[in-house]
Amino acid sequence: MTASFPKAQVVVYPGSNCDRDALWALRYVGFDAEFVDIRSHIGSDVNLLVLPGGFSYGDYLRVGAVAAREPISSEIRDFMSRGGLIIGICNGFQILIEMGILPGALLQNSTGKFICKIVELEVVDNETPFTRYFERGEKIHLPIAHGFGRYVKTNGLVNSQDNVIFRYAQDVNGADELIAGISNENKNVLGLMPHPERAIEKLIGSDDGLRVFLSAFNYIKTSSENMLQKTKVGVA
Amino acid sequence: MQKYRFVVDVQYKSNVRDPRGEMIKRVLNDEYDIPVTSLRLGKSIHLEIEAENEGDAMKLVSKACEKLLVNTVTETYEVRRI
Repeated sequence: MTASFPKAQVVVYPGSNCDRDALWALRYVGFDAEFVDIRSHIGSDVNLLVLPGGFSYGDYLRVGAVAAREPISSEIRDFMSRGGLIIGICNGFQILIEMGILPGALLQNSTGKFICKIVELEVVDNETPFTRYFERGEKIHLPIAHGFGRYVKTNGLVNSQDNVIFRYAQDVNGADELIAGISNENKNVLGLMPHPERAIEKLIGSDDGLRVFLSAFNYIKTSSENMLQKTKVGVA
Repeated sequence: MQKYRFVVDVQYKSNVRDPRGEMIKRVLNDEYDIPVTSLRLGKSIHLEIEAENEGDAMKLVSKACEKLLVNTVTETYEVRRI
């Protein structure tokens, strides 16, 4: 494998403000990571896309609504269809929902306030590419920082047991079933309100977020090794 | 081509909680003693559109609502000509 594997890109929207933290976290675990501007294109050799937190387009109209309608969205959809991994964090999660890639809606916190603190979460599903380094039911700590993070279930989420990846340990924003993070059916897209990229060092409160990126890194590495293995067997 | 003006009134669906509306209602109740029993905060979007006739204009407004202005998962809307 070349030195540039696995490769990750962080999509930078006007108003993204967690893009640098995401890039730092990706590089920290070993990704060859770079920013991708919304007027540019997703690389053909990219394994993981991160849609970072922030306030894309000022979150005017609805959170994530304008960003979800950028031309790069069709490239993101194609990337997803090819089985590429996508993590949408906070505003990135809101954008994935507005794109229709993930079901439900994210509305204003039931308290009416912006909430910024470290919260306890439960890992509901550890059989995804993003959570393989966690135990099922493990309690972890990640920061949240959002005004519109109340997850509301809709008909699109047919069986929430299969889609929920993270739950809040206690009610923080009024979300249905304490939902903090969900995946699509194929489990190659993760959307979550908490910020794993802000929890990479114990020094600043928690390093539980590290394992989200390590899981993805490991998943990409092992699936490519399996592919190589299969190819070798095929040749033999 | 003629210009037509519309108001799009967007509201959360009745089963969707509206914390901003609840807060405003509480202030009216508690600070001003006004017996408001229900208050929902939506948004109204005023727009002007160019079209051959009113029917075409209305179709374009509906398209704008469905494509961008309204999240039909959580919101409902009404269009009025002004």
